[in-house]
Amino acid sequence: MAIILIVEDDIFIRGLAEMMIQDWGHQTLLASDVDEALVLLRSPVKIDGLFTDIYLKAAVLGGCDVARAAVALRPGLRVLYTTGNTVTENMKSLFVDGKHVLRKPYTETQLQHSVESMLAA
Amino acid sequence: MSIVIASEIVETVPSALIILDRALNITSANRAFYQIFRTSPAETVGCNIFELGNRQWDIPALRTLLERVIPEKNAVERFEMEHNFPNIGRRTMLVNARKILRPGELDGGIVLAIEDVSIERAAQAESERAWQLTQSIVDTIRDPLVVLEHDMTIVMASRAFLTIFGITEAAARGRHLSELGQHQWDVPALRFLMEKVLPENKPIESFEIEDDFSGLGRRVFNLNARKISQPGNHVHRMLLVFEDITDRKQRERDAEMLTNEISHRIKNNLQIIVGLIGFEAKTTAETGTQGYKAMQARISAIAELYDLISHSKRGGTITADTYLKGIAKTMSATLLGSESGIAIDVDAEPIDIDPNRAVPLGLLINELATNAIKHAFPGGRGRVVLSLKQDGVDIVLTVTDNGIGIRDQDAAKLPERRGFNYVTIFARQLGGTIIPQPVGDKGTTVKVLLPHLAAPTGIVRSAA
Repeated sequence: MAIILIVEDDIFIRGLAEMMIQDWGHQTLLASDVDEALVLLRSPVKIDGLFTDIYLKAAVLGGCDVARAAVALRPGLRVLYTTGNTVTENMKSLFVDGKHVLRKPYTETQLQHSVESMLAA
Repeated sequence: MSIVIASEIVETVPSALIILDRALNITSANRAFYQIFRTSPAETVGCNIFELGNRQWDIPALRTLLERVIPEKNAVERFEMEHNFPNIGRRTMLVNARKILRPGELDGGIVLAIEDVSIERAAQAESERAWQLTQSIVDTIRDPLVVLEHDMTIVMASRAFLTIFGITEAAARGRHLSELGQHQWDVPALRFLMEKVLPENKPIESFEIEDDFSGLGRRVFNLNARKISQPGNHVHRMLLVFEDITDRKQRERDAEMLTNEISHRIKNNLQIIVGLIGFEAKTTAETGTQGYKAMQARISAIAELYDLISHSKRGGTITADTYLKGIAKTMSATLLGSESGIAIDVDAEPIDIDPNRAVPLGLLINELATNAIKHAFPGGRGRVVLSLKQDGVDIVLTVTDNGIGIRDQDAAKLPERRGFNYVTIFARQLGGTIIPQPVGDKGTTVKVLLPHLAAPTGIVRSAA
């Protein structure tokens, strides 16, 4: 069992992802934007993995910012990105090491595989 | 003897030569003089220079030369004189004049060597007119333009160029390009490229520079440079055109932002649908979940097609070969993976297809290729070919595999039949006709005639 921080600006998708991940026995923390994510990352709460959308409200590459801040605050933290947009070279250059990307729309099986390989990395 | 030799030499000299005595009467002239000025020894010798040929040599400049300058200076070289002669027309002449001083004489005669430079002067004037014409054409071009010497100093600059850099023509001429403005053009990459233009004769087609220009604000320029060579002239110059693409660039960025925003929303909506179907499937008995999974796969296909359509668009249309290659690549990645022994190949022509029909076409191909992948290769090895070609007025889609083929009893099985129902639905939506192919054990071919697939002729493709 692991603790996963889900950063997703769409409330519906955030809820769906939370239900899916909890179904496999993990715990979840939720954030809807960069600032909320940073509050949790700076707190002493245990986090095993970060699952973040890239496009967060007004921040086009907000998820990249969250991941970089997260790894700076918690070195070695595992990261899984998700996006409905095309993954550009510019985006890739902003990814932290050990990147995993899941394209939207993803099925439960696809999310489960991605979360498992993120935690196993 | 020496006088004879001297007079022979004088006769062969191409310049017109005349000798005047101290009273400015002509004592002799050479053959060139008679030829150039169309006169004869009889009319000339003994005549006063100013009275010669109906006083046509009574030129104020010549009078000044002979009456004032020569008495004082003894010799004058390259004295330029322009005159309209009644019989030979307007001429420009270069005159060398020298006083002949014999020993013991204080005031001798004068020898005049006259060279007709009318052709050279006319050519020079023509070249100046051409230069002025070029400059005035250059000034009407809206894009800043500059002609550079081989060492990158400015030879000519258009008005638009001078305005941008806020300098005068006089200040620009002879200046090195890198010294202009706030040294925006002092960029190593640009210098490297420019150094290639002249020696290697490689034109720069588009080189972008984005910077702040005083009085203009932030601007993006596209640079085009090429060598200008003039026939017979070894001096090489370079033409540099600055195309202001600031507005275009901004529009592109805005469009990209909008595309990203819309794509984000669409994918989020599809994500919600896929998620809801997933939850529905969980509460359904195992036997019923296959339909839900197929539905999720079709929605994922729509999401991928949406990306492919936005990337394959050129102007208002989509090019079939790019689109099909995208579909093949996506299907390989999502359904097969890199370890698979099944290959999806494309054999398509670059036909412009109607963007409104791109999604059903993509779903039709997705359905046919998925059927092939699922059923044709129990051994896990094989090849699927997606083909789209023009055949007269029709466009023909063919999806072929080299698998086990369809046996008659397979056709009756439910999931396959349902799969084929989708093929029928998408084909009908495209106004197409499925052409029956013989069934057997040597692979399967599905051929669909799509007469309405091409982009309407009203859509003009623009080079994006």
